[in-house]
Amino acid sequence: MTLASMYKVDYVQVLDQHSQMNLNSSWVNDKGAWMTNVIIIIFIKFFFGIIPGITPELSWTLTTLTYNVGSYIMFHAVTGVPFELFSQGAYDGITLWEQIDGGVQFTATRKYLTTVPIVLFLLSTHYTHYAPFAFSINLLATVINLIAKLPSMHQVRLFDINQKVDTGL
Amino acid sequence: MDNPVLYAINSTFSTIAQSIQAVPGSGIAVNYIKNSYQNDPFRVVLELGLAIYAVKYMLSKKYRIDQNDVQLTEKEIDELIAEWQPEPLVQTLSDIQRMELEKTQVIIGAQGPKPKVQSSGKNLLNLASTNYLGYITNEDLKQTAIETLHKYGVGSCGPPGFYGTLDVHIELEKNIARYLGTESAIIYAQGFSTIASVISAFAKRGDIIVVDDGSNFAIQKGTQISRSNIKWFKHNDMADLERVLESIRVESLAHKKRPLTRRFIVTEGLFQNYGDIAPLNKIMELKHKYKYRVILDESNSFGVLGKTGRGLTELFNVPAKDVDMIVGSMANTLSAAGGFCAGPKEVVDHQRLSGQAFVFSASIPAMLTVCASEAINILSTPQGEKLLQSLQDNAATFRAVILGASQWIELSSVAGSPILHLRFPQAALTTAGVHTRDEEKMLLQEIVDEVAIKDGVLITRAKYVDRQEMHLPRVSIRVSICATHTKKEVEKAAQAVKTAFGKALSRRK
Repeated sequence: MTLASMYKVDYVQVLDQHSQMNLNSSWVNDKGAWMTNVIIIIFIKFFFGIIPGITPELSWTLTTLTYNVGSYIMFHAVTGVPFELFSQGAYDGITLWEQIDGGVQFTATRKYLTTVPIVLFLLSTHYTHYAPFAFSINLLATVINLIAKLPSMHQVRLFDINQKVDTGL
Repeated sequence: MDNPVLYAINSTFSTIAQSIQAVPGSGIAVNYIKNSYQNDPFRVVLELGLAIYAVKYMLSKKYRIDQNDVQLTEKEIDELIAEWQPEPLVQTLSDIQRMELEKTQVIIGAQGPKPKVQSSGKNLLNLASTNYLGYITNEDLKQTAIETLHKYGVGSCGPPGFYGTLDVHIELEKNIARYLGTESAIIYAQGFSTIASVISAFAKRGDIIVVDDGSNFAIQKGTQISRSNIKWFKHNDMADLERVLESIRVESLAHKKRPLTRRFIVTEGLFQNYGDIAPLNKIMELKHKYKYRVILDESNSFGVLGKTGRGLTELFNVPAKDVDMIVGSMANTLSAAGGFCAGPKEVVDHQRLSGQAFVFSASIPAMLTVCASEAINILSTPQGEKLLQSLQDNAATFRAVILGASQWIELSSVAGSPILHLRFPQAALTTAGVHTRDEEKMLLQEIVDEVAIKDGVLITRAKYVDRQEMHLPRVSIRVSICATHTKKEVEKAAQAVKTAFGKALSRRK
């Protein structure tokens, strides 16, 4: 290890990531967080269900859509750590999904979070009685969410989304 | 039903159907599949695909995405183990390391302008200590230290934030701020870690630090731990500094999405590794032009440069308030310990919670604090003026003698600097057949040894952790002038060093 390479930002960033537990992503592994995921879906469905004038078909579609958009924003759109207490930018430009379990693929949490939207999609298409319009919206939202979770998409940035700004000059 | 094969298939299917029905809840699944078909095979294929993907994902084994370990077979592992030779616990010393150990002078008794050394038992004229103003042997300071010791005891028993702050600490902070003319100041317990702590308290990942490549080791470590983007400019080369700042400006224009960053210029007042002075006026000009903050390390220049020892700002007539952070050491000129950072109130207060060395280190003992404060007070008295004048005279005397031998001594220090770096000129080394760094070190050590034995002068080579220096300076002898030596002593020492340089070269020819 030469001195010059120790000054390299990437090398130090990886070191810093492994130096302590990432409090921003560790909670995702908690069983409570898994449960909350389901409870939130139930609440969303309940919320859309009680609004007058919304058919059960529409409420299922809105539920899937809300869950997918919400989880996309949470796991794939926001980068870094919101509270810069300890990590001091060690996770800058890295999404929450990429931070989970230190980037290890196919862990239990990842499997769970991948399966939930699929099950939700199957349920909602079933209860919307396979109306073509609702089906395509649900499918699109789910597939985009699933693509973002693919191992081959790890730290890959498409269409300038979340593009890491190069501060290395 | 006479075909036995068909019968067998039929019965198998009905058995499967029965067993599926026997599973609790299977009715729902069957219903679900029946409902979902709805004459749309394409959609069913899509849904099935998703379900299969989910199952496949569930069954995948976990792996690290950034794993690029070499996969070895059992045989290869065995071979590697058989080949392995344990390294010795203690490496055998190289020639240069052994020399380093053997030639180190050990002082017996108290440090001072003429300490006694172990090797010869004689008192040598000390030109190797940063005791520039001779404060180490100052009787008034000694008396003050003893009085403080009786009142406060030895240690402060804690970091400043945890019962480690004494009234004398606050007084010293005020005293430094008043003396330099800044709004506020903060003191640290170790001189070396001060600058590193200050840099990393402000510069974080993504920020930009522009550093002089002749900076001392503490500055280099500070920039390194800050995780910022480091840009080096050539030592004291203002044209190069401007080039670096301009390139950063152009780069920033090209990247509109780049987040706002903090930007710093870090340089040293009096360079420990070269003995020259940063052109502060030009740096301030560039700072204002390109909108940077300046962190100035005055570890060696504080109490030395300027008419009343206020450092580089006084020398260049720049208001100390204009420099964002002035960092200094109280371990050098003031002969106490610790360091300080002077600047605006916000800058100082930020460090009380974010300066790592301030927060996590016990505060400096009361007697050293009071001595530092007293030492600063002396600087403003006629006695201090006399000491400063004497330091300048001694430095000038030494310099004048050395300059008389410019064909075999190269001097990188400027006039007025109490740090003199003496090197062999490159041309002289080539003719003498000295090519490697180690050979040059040996040659300089010969001079150090010779003047210690023959002339009773204690000097030292400038020593570096070679592998850790970003821009390793050439080897040199670092002479530190002391104000309390007489002119005669200094002149004699300079003559001795000059002769030794010449002799060392001629021996190699």
